[in-house]
Amino acid sequence: MTHEELEESVPLYAAGALDRIERQALEAHLLSGCASCHSALKDYQSVAALLPLGLSPTKPPRSLKATIMAGRNPAPIPAEAAPNEPARPSLEPGEWMNHVFPPVAPARSLSLPWALGVAALLIVTVGGYFAWNMSTQRSIDTSNIKKLEALIQEKSTKLAGLQREVGDQANVVAELRNEMLQRTNEATEAKKQLAQREAELEEIRIQLSQRESAHTVRTPQDELASLLRIPNVKAVSLTGSDMAKRAAGFLLYDSQTQKVWLYSVNLPECPAATTYQLWAIRDKPMSIGIFHMDRGETAHLLVTKVPSFMNAKTFAVSLEPSGGRPQPTGPMYLLSRS
Amino acid sequence: MDKPSRHATSMIDPTLLARVVKGDQQAFSQLYDHSSTLLFTLAVRILENHEEAAELLQDVYLEVWRKVSRYDVGRGTPVAWLVTLTKSRAIDRLRARAARGYRATSSLEAGTAALVADLGPSPFETQADQELRIAVGAAVAGLPQAQQQAIELAYYEGLSHAEIATRLNQPLGTIKTRIKLGMSKLRDGLQQWWNHGELQ
Repeated sequence: MTHEELEESVPLYAAGALDRIERQALEAHLLSGCASCHSALKDYQSVAALLPLGLSPTKPPRSLKATIMAGRNPAPIPAEAAPNEPARPSLEPGEWMNHVFPPVAPARSLSLPWALGVAALLIVTVGGYFAWNMSTQRSIDTSNIKKLEALIQEKSTKLAGLQREVGDQANVVAELRNEMLQRTNEATEAKKQLAQREAELEEIRIQLSQRESAHTVRTPQDELASLLRIPNVKAVSLTGSDMAKRAAGFLLYDSQTQKVWLYSVNLPECPAATTYQLWAIRDKPMSIGIFHMDRGETAHLLVTKVPSFMNAKTFAVSLEPSGGRPQPTGPMYLLSRS
Repeated sequence: MDKPSRHATSMIDPTLLARVVKGDQQAFSQLYDHSSTLLFTLAVRILENHEEAAELLQDVYLEVWRKVSRYDVGRGTPVAWLVTLTKSRAIDRLRARAARGYRATSSLEAGTAALVADLGPSPFETQADQELRIAVGAAVAGLPQAQQQAIELAYYEGLSHAEIATRLNQPLGTIKTRIKLGMSKLRDGLQQWWNHGELQ
């Protein structure tokens, strides 16, 4: 660790936030005599010692003092005379100062001879020196180990960062793949729908075409157009009777389709509750159909089917009561010439 | 029962400890009167258990009695020494407890109820202590919540920065920075209290 790193760890040391190795590294550094870190630590330890003073005070049980006063030894034990204390589970912050500032000379009540005292002091001093020396060496080793550990930790962190990045990229690729797959599916679906629509359209076209071909002639124009295309059609001309001299008619008959067309012009308007009736006459009249001339109408086309035409020679149109009659009862308005 | 002392906990005289070193029982009694509330408060805060805090205090004062000669004014104030020792021993207990899988129980509340009668109108807290308590409380409360939390987890729960980072699910560097900044602010805000010799 660099000096800067060690110096930065001082407030963490005072707060008790360093782990064992870091704590030992800083303590080794302090033992080396760094004045600035020493000074900083004193400040931060003063801060740390103040913290519990900010807590709301809780007084201990009254009986505690008596227990403590009764439980202590007759006299305090000087630091040098208490070497056999059990190993502590952790290093207490500030313990390092014991090395820097040797404990105050204990009570002068030692009854050992002076020479023994000097010898003991010598042993303690020499032992202390070796212990300090070993401790320093150990601290250097610890410091080196710490450096390596820090390096490993740094590399591990970088590796973890890279792994995370790779993981992120893989996730992005996977997302893009999913999206592409989704789009492909959508496109396939759209193609299917398009094919279906085209098939439907084709079917509609076919139906339309069939309908067109199967479409029966409904309008007079279409009827006439159809009529004009039919070969071997029989045509009969009708002229107006005295009832309607200006009237005329033209009748066509197609034996194949058994259809009759009567095109009449200038027939007078049907009076109320009457209708025109077309007759085919051979031996007796046979009703072919009825039609009505409305007000303002000058021409009319009657189209109807006749199952059997019976080789009729004459055709006539009479005015009959509404609904027509089995036999002609009213006046004739149109008559064929033959 | 000793007379309630009106000496400020924050102003324990180092010479009192020098008297204890010489085996002065009255000095030891005074030392207890001056410091026991602070140390008990700290122990309860860390252990969250009044009975255990009382046991701890017993150990701490006996250790103080036996090892008081180790105290050197050059290492810090008497209060700092006592607080450091108590905190260290309490954290040790906390860790030993965690190793046994023990968790704090509701005895804290029970203990609090049992001790209410002892609390009374604070004859143990001088005006100087009160002022200092308010100053420290304000300084701690003035820290951003995250810095305060990180320092408290280290100080009162004995967690290392790595353990705090894990618990709070934050990067290690962030936790270190929070503690450093927080401690630095506390130092700047409270420096007057030891520079002016209040704690000496």
